Amino acid sequence: MTVTDERATMAAENEQPVEPSRFSLRHPQSRVAWIRPSVWAPLLVMTVFLAVLWQWAARELPYLLPPLPKIGSSLTSQFGYYVDNALVTVGEAAGGLAIGFVAAFVLAVLTSELPFLRRAVMPIAVVLNVTPLVAIAPALVVAFGFGPLPKLVIAGLICFFPILINTAAGLGSVPREVLQVYRTMDAGRFELLWHVRIPNALPFLFAALRIVFPLSIVGAVVAEMSASGSTHGLGTAISTASSMNQLPIVYASILVLAVMGVLLLLAVTLVERRVLHWHDSAHN
Amino acid sequence: MDGSVKVTGTPALELRSVHRVYGFGPSATNALDDVDLTVPSGRFVSLIGPSGCGKSTLLRLVAGLERPDRGEVRVHGVPPAQACAAKMIGLVPQSPALLPWLSVLRNVTLPQKINKGSGKRRERITGFAEHESAQSAPAAPSAPTAPDMRELLVKAGLGEAMHKLPAQISGGMRQRAAIVRAFGLRPDVLVMDEPFSALDEFTRESLQDQLLDLWDELKTTVLFVTHSVSEAVRLSDTVVVMAPHPGRIVDVIDVDLPRPRGDRLFGERRFHEYEDLIRDRLRRAWHGEAA
Repeated sequence: MTVTDERATMAAENEQPVEPSRFSLRHPQSRVAWIRPSVWAPLLVMTVFLAVLWQWAARELPYLLPPLPKIGSSLTSQFGYYVDNALVTVGEAAGGLAIGFVAAFVLAVLTSELPFLRRAVMPIAVVLNVTPLVAIAPALVVAFGFGPLPKLVIAGLICFFPILINTAAGLGSVPREVLQVYRTMDAGRFELLWHVRIPNALPFLFAALRIVFPLSIVGAVVAEMSASGSTHGLGTAISTASSMNQLPIVYASILVLAVMGVLLLLAVTLVERRVLHWHDSAHN
Repeated sequence: MDGSVKVTGTPALELRSVHRVYGFGPSATNALDDVDLTVPSGRFVSLIGPSGCGKSTLLRLVAGLERPDRGEVRVHGVPPAQACAAKMIGLVPQSPALLPWLSVLRNVTLPQKINKGSGKRRERITGFAEHESAQSAPAAPSAPTAPDMRELLVKAGLGEAMHKLPAQISGGMRQRAAIVRAFGLRPDVLVMDEPFSALDEFTRESLQDQLLDLWDELKTTVLFVTHSVSEAVRLSDTVVVMAPHPGRIVDVIDVDLPRPRGDRLFGERRFHEYEDLIRDRLRRAWHGEAA
């Protein structure tokens, strides 16, 4: 999962002169564009088509999919139930994300400054990354019990690697000539890190965050499902409901998870636009 | 060219039998072979020669980015590393090397926030060197105060672009910003590595003029790498002609043309005579090697 987003790699050599109008006009334009049917109509048609297909499948094969109205009524009648469980899952995901972020960022900075540490840590991080997390989850539940701890650990682990790799790549990709300019001023390590390397790594970091925010929910749900004794969380709700054949609850939970993922992605994008206003990726 | 220098005290630059070899064994290349060079304070010196003649290597040695294998490099009497620590060296690389997330103004002011301990070190070194140009520049400060970067940007024609990002301005403007950034250090030695080579001819000529204007005002020693003969004659007090295999200095030509140098001068015969002289030396160095 080497997330070297091509947009991020362009960060370093953003040499093309860009007419200023692009910066001021792009946003209003993209907002106005949604008024035109040619922009939203394809999505609407596709959604309606999928909904019709779903309803047809639900009628023909009742064990495959629940009818859409039943999902809707489950959501509205037990709204508090879904909100409570969603909050639990989001809490686990956010906590894990925070832990993973801090650990990965600090380690990325340390490995970029200390080559021997990089040689020691990176191979292990790669092995950790290719190990399926679903396989580790039950073991972590045995180790840490049914409380929130294994969920935090798993969500953290799933976020750890993309952040580590991308941040390390960003810290290390400062153009040679920029480094030479600041080397002739005898800039200190910390000065270079703070003024040059970390800002240079931000586009890479955000490319990782866009992947990792939704992924943290995956981690939390996997952890909940592995801990059969859990009482809360959407993952628990799904495994409980499917064992009791309550398809509407299963799919309502899945829908809530999907919405949460979208909201998280939206949050990253908004922050990214603010922080990376200077960067190409913020304008696409 | 050694005895005459003593008049002005410690030279701005001094290279003594400098060797620099890249690689090992049979594939080793002699980038610089026994190079001597002395540059008095306040001179504009160009290094010219075909690729592989070691001009960029020489520049990197002076800027403290590399060390010589043998011999000695001195900047105002101290090793380049110490000169860097005192922020006495300004570097303008081939590409502007601006930080894309900072506005032009913040790009050129960032150096002031970096290595703040350099002031005292610089006072000590320039105190030894009693660096004072022969010209009576109005109270040339030995420990320079931070110049007003806004003013410098306006002077370089970047007044409008001050708050724009590097990606929002043209290539020529970016290179100008890089030059202003280097001048903003009030460097004792400004090293420039073919800074105009990526620009079109019109932009290049106007930037050459602006560079001379800025240099006229701040009177620092300039070491300018180029592969354009007319650029070298246009800008320099001294042109150092170099040749490859091994990298060496074959000639040092003083360009005795009046300043400020305007368009009229570039049409004159004495200007072209200098161009011809340098071309001739370059050719001779090339053929001498082939023979």
